[in-house]
Amino acid sequence: MIPLIRNPLRWAVLAAAALLIVAACGGGGTTTGTTTFKGTKKLGLSTTISGVSALYGKAISQSVKLAVDDVNARGGVNGYKIEAVILDDNTDVNKAVQNTQQLILQENVVAMIGQVLSSQCQATSPISKQNKVVVIAPICNSYQLTTEPDLINPYYVSIVPNTYMEGTSAGTLAGKLGAKRIFIVSPNYLFGRSETNAFVAALKKANPSAEIANSESTWYVPFPTNPRWDSTINAIQATKPDLVYSNIFAADQQNFIKQAQGVDPDFFKKYPMTTLSSVDDLSTLASSYPLGMHLYMRAPFFALSNSRMDDFVKRYRARYNEYPSDWAVMSYDAVQVWAKATGAAGSFDSAQVLKQLVGKSFQSLRGYSFTIRPGDQQANVGETIGTTADSGGKYPFPTLKEVTNLKGDDIMMPLTLMNELRDGKCEKGGDPKTTDFALCPSWKA
Amino acid sequence: MNPAQVLLFAVGGLSNAAYLFIVAAGLSLVFGALRVINMAHGSLYMIAAFVTVVVAEKLGLAFGFWSGLLAALIITGVIGAIIEIVVLRRVYRAEHLVQLLGTYALTLIIAGLVRIIFGPNYRTVKSPALFTGSVSLAGFSYSVYSFFMIGAAIVIAAGVYVMLYRTALGRNIRAAVSDPELLSASGIDVARLFTTVFVIGACLAALGGVIVAPSQAVGSSMDTDVLVLAFAISVIGGLGSIVGSLVGSVIVGEVYSFGLQYAVTNQFALAFVFIIMAAVLIIRPWGLFGTPEQ
Repeated sequence: MIPLIRNPLRWAVLAAAALLIVAACGGGGTTTGTTTFKGTKKLGLSTTISGVSALYGKAISQSVKLAVDDVNARGGVNGYKIEAVILDDNTDVNKAVQNTQQLILQENVVAMIGQVLSSQCQATSPISKQNKVVVIAPICNSYQLTTEPDLINPYYVSIVPNTYMEGTSAGTLAGKLGAKRIFIVSPNYLFGRSETNAFVAALKKANPSAEIANSESTWYVPFPTNPRWDSTINAIQATKPDLVYSNIFAADQQNFIKQAQGVDPDFFKKYPMTTLSSVDDLSTLASSYPLGMHLYMRAPFFALSNSRMDDFVKRYRARYNEYPSDWAVMSYDAVQVWAKATGAAGSFDSAQVLKQLVGKSFQSLRGYSFTIRPGDQQANVGETIGTTADSGGKYPFPTLKEVTNLKGDDIMMPLTLMNELRDGKCEKGGDPKTTDFALCPSWKA
Repeated sequence: MNPAQVLLFAVGGLSNAAYLFIVAAGLSLVFGALRVINMAHGSLYMIAAFVTVVVAEKLGLAFGFWSGLLAALIITGVIGAIIEIVVLRRVYRAEHLVQLLGTYALTLIIAGLVRIIFGPNYRTVKSPALFTGSVSLAGFSYSVYSFFMIGAAIVIAAGVYVMLYRTALGRNIRAAVSDPELLSASGIDVARLFTTVFVIGACLAALGGVIVAPSQAVGSSMDTDVLVLAFAISVIGGLGSIVGSLVGSVIVGEVYSFGLQYAVTNQFALAFVFIIMAAVLIIRPWGLFGTPEQ
């Protein structure tokens, strides 16, 4: 026996390796710091770490990691340590589908955080529905995802203001601004069409005399786009609208703004713009981001200051050396919502977790609590609108002045309208492809 | 559409064509001389854009852009030489499919390295002071930088033409295209010549990346954005033909610019580019100005 312990270092290495193997195989419990866990459960995220929306994917993945660490520091969920499994979908729908299948079927995730693009959520929702895996969607937001009969997924919960909420808010704002001729530019996929449709419907209601300066077939630009925006910029010059409405985002918005300012430094003074934006867009262009732009934003930390948000911003900055974007705020909320509901359920079973999600209220970093409405499982989260202004050196990017934090209850799709959509009462000639909430009897009324 | 609007959209198309030509010319030159379809060409373009942004951030606007231009040419040229010596020399005699796979692998490696080194955030750099601002013409504003891009493309086109048809290097490159074995027998170091050609191609990609950087967000997806259009241009104009690249880029730039303006063509503006490419492939597979492969 003596020769076997002749090399104690070798034994120490072997013992450590054996321990690692046992831990990796899930044998016994795991210990983190002073907490002993029963084991590990996986939370899945397929996001845009590369591709056109890489900017957003970075913030989302960072925030999910921070949120999961916070959950584990509190003792995990139901005695289990939570592990975030994060895959890159390259801002591509097919890759998002592959990732979702991998996360559910191979990684055995107990729940998922939704993707960035509405088209990705549209394609992956049936997979989570079929496999009964809860999805908390903090980013993709087309209202069709929770209202269209073919897409409804009982395991899908939206905690982001949807395209109805955003589009109608922006349309009402544009109507109040008194704009008469409006030029529209929007990405040509589910999100863009959905949000633009809501914008136009609300605009027409708020200001019936307003006209859209460009014909409908030119509203939508190919997505992902050519990075050159000369054609759109020139079309705006040729049309001379008194307001430009856009919901282009990330690299597209930055390229559009840069190139428009190159054409004319006063471009956005001549052609004021109402657009979807985020902290990421503001911080990337920094001092180049035009002042006086009418923005609508989902969760800008600087406009939603409260003790929880301030603490989050402080810790996020300490860890990642940057300010958290709207996507980071909402993704953090998504993990916390799932953890709270799963903890309340005392189980990872999706049906049990859903009972603790739907109809329940959750505290948000955004400074209010929101409730997930039964019916469409949409949270009554708010939207922030305001005008870009110099932050006076407080931040290395512009922020908003004349801020209004719209309340979720005030901008949500009325249940009557939602039921009319589901009942097929908002179509032309009974063709489901023509479904449009502006055709619903209650909207017309 | 009135004449002023036609001019507006034509200039928009030309500024698009300008940076696309610079990139496509490098792709075409490499194919013409080396008979290699370089999928990593967009990666070199992206590296140059990132280098420009980083150097401009460090040195400030006054000299940053021009120093970035110099740094990007040197760095991309060195990377190009390494790619040619380490990778391409091993696949010259292989089928095009092997060459495609080899250079495609390089795009994945470089994309990963770019994300590690520069991060996934988009970066921006301002135009050099000399080319900032706008000019007004017939009631519309035009970016001075757009005219700089167009001018730069014309100068580069002239430079490449002179290099190919008025210098000893160009004579050797054209001879290598016709018969590399005969050229080698006449005492020319063909291996070194091929490295030189690939470095010139890489530098053209770099010039495209540097020139486009002040007018758009620099990010890790710009490699594929440009490569698709550069290939379409090269196929339309003829792989290996610089004149073809010039004509192809103008066709692509203008078709896209005008295509987006009309309600009936708006949604097909990009598709038209590929429809033209398909038509050229059917009618004249070697492109408008190319020559059939022997």
